[in-house]
Amino acid sequence: MQRIYLHPLPVRIWHWLNAVTCVLLFLTGVQIRYVGIIDVISFRLAVALHSWLGFELIANFFLWLGYYLCSARIRAYHAELNPVKYFLGSLRQTLYYSYGIFKGLPNPFRPSVYRKFNPLQAMTYQILMLLLLPVQCVTGVLLWNLVRFSGPVNLLGGVRVVDTVHVLIFIFFAFYIPAHAYLGTLGRTPGQHYKEMFTGYEEAEEESTDAAE
Amino acid sequence: MDLAPPKQCVPDYRGKFRVTGAALGCGPAASVWRSVFAVTVAVVLLALTSLASSAAPSASDQQCLACHAMAGLEKPLANGGTLSLHISGDGFAQSVHAAIGCAGCHTDINLAKHPPAANPIASQRVFSVAMVQVCGTCHNSEFQRWGNSVHAALVHDGNPDAPICTSCHSPHGMMKGAAGSLPTVPCKTCHSAIFTAYAASVHGVIREHGMLAAPLCFDCHGAHDVAVPSAGVGRRDVCLGCHTEALTSHGTWLPNAQLHFDMVSCPVCHTPRAKRVVNLILYNSATQKETSRSAGIPEFENLSGAASAKQAGLDPTTLMTLLGALNRQGVEGKTGIRGRLEVRTGIEDHELTFASNAIGTCDTCHQQGAAAFQSVEVSVAGPAGMPIHYDASKEVLSSVFSIDAVGGFYAIGGSRITFLDLLFVLALVGAIGWSTVHCAARWGFRRFGNQMPRGPGKE
Repeated sequence: MQRIYLHPLPVRIWHWLNAVTCVLLFLTGVQIRYVGIIDVISFRLAVALHSWLGFELIANFFLWLGYYLCSARIRAYHAELNPVKYFLGSLRQTLYYSYGIFKGLPNPFRPSVYRKFNPLQAMTYQILMLLLLPVQCVTGVLLWNLVRFSGPVNLLGGVRVVDTVHVLIFIFFAFYIPAHAYLGTLGRTPGQHYKEMFTGYEEAEEESTDAAE
Repeated sequence: MDLAPPKQCVPDYRGKFRVTGAALGCGPAASVWRSVFAVTVAVVLLALTSLASSAAPSASDQQCLACHAMAGLEKPLANGGTLSLHISGDGFAQSVHAAIGCAGCHTDINLAKHPPAANPIASQRVFSVAMVQVCGTCHNSEFQRWGNSVHAALVHDGNPDAPICTSCHSPHGMMKGAAGSLPTVPCKTCHSAIFTAYAASVHGVIREHGMLAAPLCFDCHGAHDVAVPSAGVGRRDVCLGCHTEALTSHGTWLPNAQLHFDMVSCPVCHTPRAKRVVNLILYNSATQKETSRSAGIPEFENLSGAASAKQAGLDPTTLMTLLGALNRQGVEGKTGIRGRLEVRTGIEDHELTFASNAIGTCDTCHQQGAAAFQSVEVSVAGPAGMPIHYDASKEVLSSVFSIDAVGGFYAIGGSRITFLDLLFVLALVGAIGWSTVHCAARWGFRRFGNQMPRGPGKE
């Protein structure tokens, strides 16, 4: 077995802060939107918590952005510009999750320091970190103080339009959070990937080392 | 005006008046000088109001009252009605106008031809509307402000009940301060139901108990420049005129206090029993004013008429179509919707309660099915700035078709879009369901299938 240092400390701190914040934002968001159906905490407290957590998410986003902008590991987020290569890689990964994994076939993707995401992960995280999360943060800030930001809100079509965008991304997270938590159990053991996100090291077979990196 | 007495002025058997005796001469030049003299006298005597009001009528006034103090004196009108010509001598003597006397206002009376043999007055309303011009001679400032009021606009629109000066101020019994006193404020003559609500409100109650700082009608609505009370945030600004600390004090406990002040009318929370309504106001982005019905939007009339016929009000698709039609008219700017939460009636607007009884819990409004969002109306500016309301179905607040159409109004939880709720459930159930099925399949294949040993990998 070979140990690959896939997740440096800043990434791990960001990841777990992001995970906790996103879950709490999701839960307080559910409480805010469905008050009367769910009454775990008061509406007012939920709004206050949601606002503070939102700013924490934004600060955390800049931790992530700052680290990757100063690190060569940002290549993990580079888009695959060869569509054929990207399509074939995605197809292989999809076939693995929908068939190979049941048959006990090996994961077709071999991670490395600079290429730690399989094609499906790469696409998901690029959309998530470079589009959805920034849009969610911006719409959240606009909704946080509609009076101060009335100009941009009106420019975007009004409060209902901004809120709808915010809720649509919230709905994406409603799918993403449970799915991400489950996909994290698909290592050799259910806790393997969770352990990696604490230690930073992935244990891989010797032949999994990507010489190209 | 000649102040010399007529030879005789006696009522006839029908109660109408007739004049006997010789007419006194009065040429044009004499009329001008008499008018100047009358106004001068009026100004001087007005300064001595307090002294004069307690005095007996002047000699010239007594000449007028010789006939006009007779009960039942009246004049037939062209429309078949009658105009009472009876003046209470005592009442007039005590009024503030006693100082200027009859001639101060009735400058057009020519005693030589008084009473006129002809009958030129069409109706009491025509006579009264014509006579208010006289009020402006002395009360110019008030008259000008009245001219800009909603009352004057209604008069110009031909509303026979719209108030003119004499509707509120009895010209022959005008008592100083009467219009500003709770028992005698004239507004309640027409707005009796609203006044009853006001009298029972926190404002009326504390005013009744002697706190004169509590507002009476004109403190909020203006004494003469009476404005449309329900226009936009005007109501909020009126409240903040006295309650200057309200925004700060609300900000200590109410999240987004300024936003609430902009979107929610004060009585919505301070009149807890009132029925609330979401008022979706059509406005033009270029003028930043309410879209006026007079701007020519026949589609609105057609569509709202069709909706009313179905007894359901404007539905989401109709409203969306309406906005599309309005924005195709080539009018500068875009017609959009700004929403405000208000109380349903002007009566409820005045039933303000003590602050301790006001609504202070968020979930009163911020939840699906809240009473605040069961009534919806769409409004445009009508004649004289008075809003015209059209009923809309409450589904316009929760329909996916309203994302753009009702972009300017949204209350978290209370007016959320139902379709997004469905998507949310599908996403959550889909993620959990897919994970569960996938996990079960893995277990099943491992347990019962012909599975190869697992290799290394990363998911």
